[in-house]
Amino acid sequence: MSVATVHRASWLAQTAQVFARWARGTIRQPWGLGMGLIQPLVWILLFGQVFRSIGDAIPGGYLAFLVPGVLMMTVLYTGAWAGTGFIDDIASGVLDQQLTSPIRRSALVVGQLLQQLALMLVQGVIVLAIGLAGGARFDGGPLGVLAALGASLLLATLFCCFSTAIALLTRNQIALISISQLIVLPATFLSTAMMPTALQPDWVAAVAAWNPLSWAVDLGRAALAGDPAPDGWGAQLAGLAIADAVLLLLAERALAAYNRSR
Amino acid sequence: MTAAIEAEGLVKSYPAGRGAPRLRALDGLGFEAASGGVFAMLGPNGAGKSTTTRILTTLSRADAGTARVGGFDVAREAGRVRELVGCVSQGTGVDPVLTATENLVMAARLRGYSGVDARRRAAALLGEFDLADAAARRAGTFSGGMKRRLDVAVALVHGPGILFLDEPTTGLDPESRTAMWAEIRRLAAERTMTVVLTTHYLEEADRLADDVMIVDAGRRVVQGSPERLKATLAGDSLSVELLEPRADAVRAAIARVPGLEAVAVESRGTTGRLTARAADAPAVVGATIAALEAAGIPFGSVSAARPSLDDVYLHYVGRSLTADSTEEGAAA
Repeated sequence: MSVATVHRASWLAQTAQVFARWARGTIRQPWGLGMGLIQPLVWILLFGQVFRSIGDAIPGGYLAFLVPGVLMMTVLYTGAWAGTGFIDDIASGVLDQQLTSPIRRSALVVGQLLQQLALMLVQGVIVLAIGLAGGARFDGGPLGVLAALGASLLLATLFCCFSTAIALLTRNQIALISISQLIVLPATFLSTAMMPTALQPDWVAAVAAWNPLSWAVDLGRAALAGDPAPDGWGAQLAGLAIADAVLLLLAERALAAYNRSR
Repeated sequence: MTAAIEAEGLVKSYPAGRGAPRLRALDGLGFEAASGGVFAMLGPNGAGKSTTTRILTTLSRADAGTARVGGFDVAREAGRVRELVGCVSQGTGVDPVLTATENLVMAARLRGYSGVDARRRAAALLGEFDLADAAARRAGTFSGGMKRRLDVAVALVHGPGILFLDEPTTGLDPESRTAMWAEIRRLAAERTMTVVLTTHYLEEADRLADDVMIVDAGRRVVQGSPERLKATLAGDSLSVELLEPRADAVRAAIARVPGLEAVAVESRGTTGRLTARAADAPAVVGATIAALEAAGIPFGSVSAARPSLDDVYLHYVGRSLTADSTEEGAAA
């Protein structure tokens, strides 16, 4: 028995199709994007007011300090929900349908990741625009902005892949939400997103130094401030890149484990 | 000619919760399905039909045993199997946010069709499945029957050699079910393709299948064409609807009716059913009615007929599938 003509799509073509599918979903359900933008606005307004008193201790003012933190928090929170799409696909049967086709498993993971990154790039630009409108100064100029957005995407990759892996392993929306909540809140407060290291208790500063969110915040903050080579930038960049590679592999393994367990 | 499917000794078990023994979904299942026509796996929920489909479509791996689909080993040549087959699982395989056309174009492009070819293929399939008017509508707005037709169209986008349909009419209203049966018959007749169907509806298997395999508890019970399976049962079947499930009293009452064989009394809550075989069932209907009346056993309809697939199922499995199907159908 044979098929008349066997067509084979390249990995890139398959990844592009997966990307396009999720992108259409985002555009057609814009409330998700809308909520994702309201959240950073609230953070900037809220934290900007609550922590205004420490602004005197920070050169450039608290808003300029806070905006890179909110940029990274935005991708952290959006990325933590990335796995919900896979849970929906498991529940509806779409994922099973795809897994019986010749689509490469990595294309399924990377295609959705790229759509999430595109979404977060848009969110990041809007967060920086809000900061600029609020009076924050980015001495790093356009290059600094690009570098900060790049750092945000490295962080986003890490949490998207983590969320995808958890979704595929637990296959349960409540489990994914619980685990995400458990991680993102402590990760936020045990980082340099809202509070400079100098004002943190020693143990918090020690933990924050190993927190990937802090790495991305520090890199983004330095880039926006126009500091081309802040202390430890190489290790932070390498740390994010290695974590991304490990988590991407984990997400792909989780998809294979899902396939095996059916 | 290569068989469409060759399976041997398939075993698959799933965890059944802490402390409980693993649930054995397949227990050494082996069978062959010839190329062309409709092959049906018939059995109640939990018999192992869907697990078998998942293994044959590379969605799952057997714990033991081997299976070849279109000549390709499902474990070692999964990629070739995926190129060959089309699948319609029990859930929907289409993205509710995408339109019907977009779902089809995406499925075609994931399989390597160019944009132009994918759109051409999508338009042809939408026309074939009477969905052309809904081409630009999102699949999420479709009725159950339309969604099912789109599912089948997506599974056919690459012209598969084998089409798997896992419970294709479960959850559909009677009208949509009849329409889907017509589609399946048309596909099997018009295309050089093997259709592999799982179902717990006897009527579905009887109407559609060229070859039926009855599956129970993860094993093949019997296999053959519906006609051949029915012909293996000698005589006619007699069926009496009981208004009270008094099995012992019923058996005692009809013990002296001559010519009744394979007597079975099933309880269905507050009612029941008496089934039996007889060389000439119409001739014993009167004696059976008289015996039940004499014993004061209330009953409803009495029928005598040529053996049905339900009789085949009852004969080989030892219980009727109709009651299960009716309950599942009502619940669906």
